[in-house]
Amino acid sequence: MENKKSSSPAGFIDSTVVPGDVVLDLSSMTNQTIKIGGGLRQDCDAISVMKAGTLRFSKPNKYWVESSQKRYVPCVEDTVLGIVVDSKADNFLIDIKGPALAFLPVLAFEGGTRRNIPKFEVGTLLYLRVVKANFGMNPELSCTDVSGKAAEFGPLKDGYMFEISTGLSRKLLSSPTCPILEALGKKLSFEIAIGLNGRVWVNATSPDIIVIVANAIMKSESLSTAQQIIMVEHLLKNIQ
Amino acid sequence: MEVDREDGRSQNQLRPLACSRNNLHRAHGSASWSQGDTKVLAAVYGPKAGTKKNENPEKACIEVIWKPKTGQIGKLEKEYEMILKRTLQSICILTVNPNTTTSVIIQVANDDGALLPSAINAACMALVDAGIPTRHLAVSICCCVARSGLVVLDPTKLEEQKMKAFAYLVFPNSVHSVLPEGSPSGQGEPIQNGIITSVTHGIMSVDDYFYCLERGRAASTKLSDFLRKNLQQQSTDSSKAG
Repeated sequence: MENKKSSSPAGFIDSTVVPGDVVLDLSSMTNQTIKIGGGLRQDCDAISVMKAGTLRFSKPNKYWVESSQKRYVPCVEDTVLGIVVDSKADNFLIDIKGPALAFLPVLAFEGGTRRNIPKFEVGTLLYLRVVKANFGMNPELSCTDVSGKAAEFGPLKDGYMFEISTGLSRKLLSSPTCPILEALGKKLSFEIAIGLNGRVWVNATSPDIIVIVANAIMKSESLSTAQQIIMVEHLLKNIQ
Repeated sequence: MEVDREDGRSQNQLRPLACSRNNLHRAHGSASWSQGDTKVLAAVYGPKAGTKKNENPEKACIEVIWKPKTGQIGKLEKEYEMILKRTLQSICILTVNPNTTTSVIIQVANDDGALLPSAINAACMALVDAGIPTRHLAVSICCCVARSGLVVLDPTKLEEQKMKAFAYLVFPNSVHSVLPEGSPSGQGEPIQNGIITSVTHGIMSVDDYFYCLERGRAASTKLSDFLRKNLQQQSTDSSKAG
């Protein structure tokens, strides 16, 4: 009995699902507490898919659909790169490639008070953290980590920003370090900030390093791991 | 009871299908769909903040723009836009992103019959590519009733002109489910038996219509298998990249 229940969703895990597929039946599960993430929805007792992608499962009870898009769906505790669009008395309005503009409260900085409100020009690139992503509300951002320290958050000066898909940015941030960043990091020294919303910022001492790193990342979108390493080696050979 | 078709197909045979996704660089989702010589390109932008006038801000709004191959859009294209919009509204989950607008742009590259069904298939794939939440996919098919009373699937332009009547049918895709076969899935009837859109032109008897539905449904399972295979291919490509 127990076996049968756990085997039913197992057929779907790590395989491609398309919208409409029913992956879980709550009425036949003993432990009905599950956590569902992006791309899944509950319809009475059935958990069905609403985005095409790969169904993932993490013990003990988390299910989500992993896919790659050009738009970003805000999620709490994600780190993102945002661009200042407008500044109001209480909030900065930030574009994070989501369905709505995000708010960055002017006090959400380390030691932020009414006296020392930072001034950001329209177009400033910021490294931020999503703190609120509620349904039907604009997401809220913060420039501090959970303990209120500035950490690495804040404006990114100089450098170069480009856009990739959300799937690739997740891969770049995954641990163990993505092979492409590891291969690049062995030869070159550069600074990089990757947002889960598909924006990447690169800075280095000389512009040609920035160009190489940016090109390598943008090209790696459609390559396998082995191909990525070959491509990086090829690029590095050209500059030496 | 064999019908002679110019390209030598049998009456239930579809033309060769081809679909590729993510072909446009700047659009958030795009797909091109070809069915024989009919080729349609669909692009999705959004969801963008705000809804259009006269739309419910508590729901997402879908806007469809039809670009014909040449010339201006006329009444027929306006009708296509409307049908497409209603169809997409019924497959999308509009409550996930309230007060947003999603634009779907359909560019006709070549029209050789079954244009609207191709556009619906293209738009559906573009929505999936953009990651817009949908209840299920839509698969669309064109059925024609010949003067002899035979039902022919997926006609070319030439065949379409000779026909007595035709029906554009849109079905939900066949889904994989953990629920046992035939069990009521919430609403009482299995979703595969549903129909999303039905547009008929010309005169056809009720029996002919039901026969069309039956043939169309049989063909739609083939189409939805094609869609699933296409989506699977894409995701194995991207998982290799990691």
